[in-house]
Amino acid sequence: MAVVDEKHAQFARYKDDVQTRGKPFFPHAMFHDTVMSVVVVCVIIGLACIWYFTSDADAGEDGSGWLGPRYADKADPGTTSFIPRPDWYFYFLFYLLRIFKWPESVILATVGIPTIALVLLIALPFLDRRRERRPLRRPVAITGAILVMLAMGVLTYKGATVRESLGGGLTDTWVEQNNLPENARAGADVFQEAGCMTCHSYLGAGAGGPGPELSEIGAQSGKNVDYFVRYISNPREFGNNIMPVYASFGEKTLNDLAVFLAASKGPGGG
Amino acid sequence: MAQQRPPSLVRQIINYPLDWLEERSGLVGAVRYFLFRKVPRDTNWSHTLGSATLTAFLIQAITGAILAMYYKPETRTAYESIERITNDVTLGWLVRGMHKWGASVFIILMFLHMGRVFLFGAYKYPRELNWVIGVLLLVLGLFEGLTGYLLPYDETGYWATVVAININGTAPFLGPFLVNLLYGSADFGTDTLARFYSLHMLLAPGAIFALIGLHLYLVIRLGVTSPPWSPEAAGNERYEPEPPSRDGRDGRRAGLLRPGARRAAR
Amino acid sequence: MEPRRPSQPHLPPPSLWPIGFAVGVAILLLGLVVGWGIVLLGALLAVAFGFLWVRDLASDEDAVPPTRRYELDPLGAGAAPAVGARGEAALPPMDDEEIETYPRSVFLELSTLGLGALIGGLITAPVLGFAVLPAFIDQEEDAVDLGPLDNFPEGQWRIATFMENPAEGEVTRRTAYVRYNGDLKGVPSFTVISNHCAHLGCPVQPGGPITEEQKKEVKTEGAPVTLIPTQPAAFSCPCHGGAYDTEGNRTSGPPVRALDRYEFSIRGGNLWLGTSYSVSEVDGTGKDATITKYQRMYPGEHVDGIEQVLYPLPAPQ
Repeated sequence: MAVVDEKHAQFARYKDDVQTRGKPFFPHAMFHDTVMSVVVVCVIIGLACIWYFTSDADAGEDGSGWLGPRYADKADPGTTSFIPRPDWYFYFLFYLLRIFKWPESVILATVGIPTIALVLLIALPFLDRRRERRPLRRPVAITGAILVMLAMGVLTYKGATVRESLGGGLTDTWVEQNNLPENARAGADVFQEAGCMTCHSYLGAGAGGPGPELSEIGAQSGKNVDYFVRYISNPREFGNNIMPVYASFGEKTLNDLAVFLAASKGPGGG
Repeated sequence: MAQQRPPSLVRQIINYPLDWLEERSGLVGAVRYFLFRKVPRDTNWSHTLGSATLTAFLIQAITGAILAMYYKPETRTAYESIERITNDVTLGWLVRGMHKWGASVFIILMFLHMGRVFLFGAYKYPRELNWVIGVLLLVLGLFEGLTGYLLPYDETGYWATVVAININGTAPFLGPFLVNLLYGSADFGTDTLARFYSLHMLLAPGAIFALIGLHLYLVIRLGVTSPPWSPEAAGNERYEPEPPSRDGRDGRRAGLLRPGARRAAR
Repeated sequence: MEPRRPSQPHLPPPSLWPIGFAVGVAILLLGLVVGWGIVLLGALLAVAFGFLWVRDLASDEDAVPPTRRYELDPLGAGAAPAVGARGEAALPPMDDEEIETYPRSVFLELSTLGLGALIGGLITAPVLGFAVLPAFIDQEEDAVDLGPLDNFPEGQWRIATFMENPAEGEVTRRTAYVRYNGDLKGVPSFTVISNHCAHLGCPVQPGGPITEEQKKEVKTEGAPVTLIPTQPAAFSCPCHGGAYDTEGNRTSGPPVRALDRYEFSIRGGNLWLGTSYSVSEVDGTGKDATITKYQRMYPGEHVDGIEQVLYPLPAPQ
């Protein structure tokens, strides 16, 4: 077949070119390789040093340095407060799982899409049989590559910045950034501990849905402490059928939450 | 090749053991072939990503082997052994740090290398097999990252592993059995850590070493590609001063640089 | 017989008896370390094989010259090469009329492959079995004692942390959300919900305050159990946004079914947990709840609906 002969001819030409006009691997190309390898080794050692010397021997977030803590807390299979995350290079898969939040679609995100992607990757040389190698003349390949890189980049970034603070710790930031009075602190703590951020976000932290962002909810007219106490005790009264009924929290907790929300008028207000 | 004068003493001292080895094994010749083979004239810095990845992997292998001398792969003692390595063992923090960050560097370099190969179209004939091997290496590298994450037996590793195994469990039909296989029992138990340790230390690195050997063999055999936009790219037709055909078409496939067409366009 | 050339030493014919003799000697020496019985065995072997060897040598009238290149051919694939023959002439004849009905080369090929396969199988099967089978058999689950019933006031939730198998230690630590619902037909009714999310197994958190200060450690026959009061209005998962109500039903997010529950029993005034099972849905609340039970599946596996066909065979639990 002419095509096959062309392939072979081109490869034969390639081999010939390399033999007649090529340069010996050592020392020319190997020099580049060696320099790059030295760079890699230095980067790895540098990262290790920065990681170690900017952290201290406390486990978990307390001992965190510029590059994170030396080790997290010991595994506790019975924990009720830990927020699991994979290693950073799996963030794109992690965020994919968050995107597909309908139970019927779970299998798409867990095995469907990754498997299809992997099959396409392996089959690439058999799908793209053209001999053309110059990027500007391979529009499909280059476009596909750019889209894939963008997608993985965005997914990784989103996976990295997803915040679910279920253990507190954001109260100080919120008081400062949202001009909250001191009596809103208790409610801010409850807001974080009670899992409100599974469905709501506050100043960008938390989940994007199904509940709305709440950092400016207090600025809306009619939304005072009484309103919030009634709403949180029974969202059904207000036509909300998704939010759980929190009447069991008790008067004090509900009041704290309501004070916090009523004071949340955004960074400009309050 | 007759020399004009007898080789110097230093040369003789160097050559004698090499000749001894070469006569009995042929290895010296193989190394010479590898070192002095020709590569295209216009290879550039982007071609170093492959060997950089190999360097990163070797760092992982060596630091991993050293860590294994102090790490205790049992759920009751793993975390404490990591604490000990980091805090008490001399330079343990450095070896552990290099292994931990080397993993990220290794994965980043693999993706960069893959991107470079893709950009250069170096997965096309006759290098398809090399690409497939490369993808397998990518998967194995990510697998190493996954299994290694559990080994310190800390919260992050434990729960990331639980989720990863359950992700496998959602595969149709075989999923549930895959979970049992990875856990070593019906749920995360005493065997799970040891299983992941064996996978991380022995099975996956063995496979990676074998595939890297194959990958390198193919690279040496098939050669590296020139940057496709380079005017001197090896394999182009421009060196053959062919008479331009009557209608500018030589019956060859579109997309190749045809000297006749180029000159005609000028 | 060809006269022997004087320069050629007479070598004995090939024989297997020295091997047995050597083994016997080795076993005899081993026995000096291990025990006298082994010495005796070794001595017997050495004597027996040694005798056979010597007898062989003594009866060897016709010494075979060393130039014979090929061993005795048990199948007689051809005439033995001429004595002293070298090179081509020493090879067995390849003529058609001399080839046996079952050529030696074919037998060797087949038996090499067959034996190789046998060796491979003999090595691989037990090893694979060792690696794979224990994950599927040897599963047992003992009941877990959570302590006296008094620790569970009616209508209140407790976060109960216990070890499923104290012998294996901390790795079997699990958490369940336990609420005493009052009595149903004279028997205490409990809601015991596992804290593993039904999406991908992350630890589910109570959507409500946790009073750590009132933590209680209960000593039991097994490992101590920790009980912490909490007032959840819902349960939520920090990984991918799954949310459940207080009966464990999914209210939003990717979980594919309700939270798993534990069987429970009351023995001697204590609450004991049994095996866990999967739940598709719970109707009603507390002691009036109707629970649709299934055999326990792994997270992410549907137990009902269309997608249930993807998981026809539950793995051994």
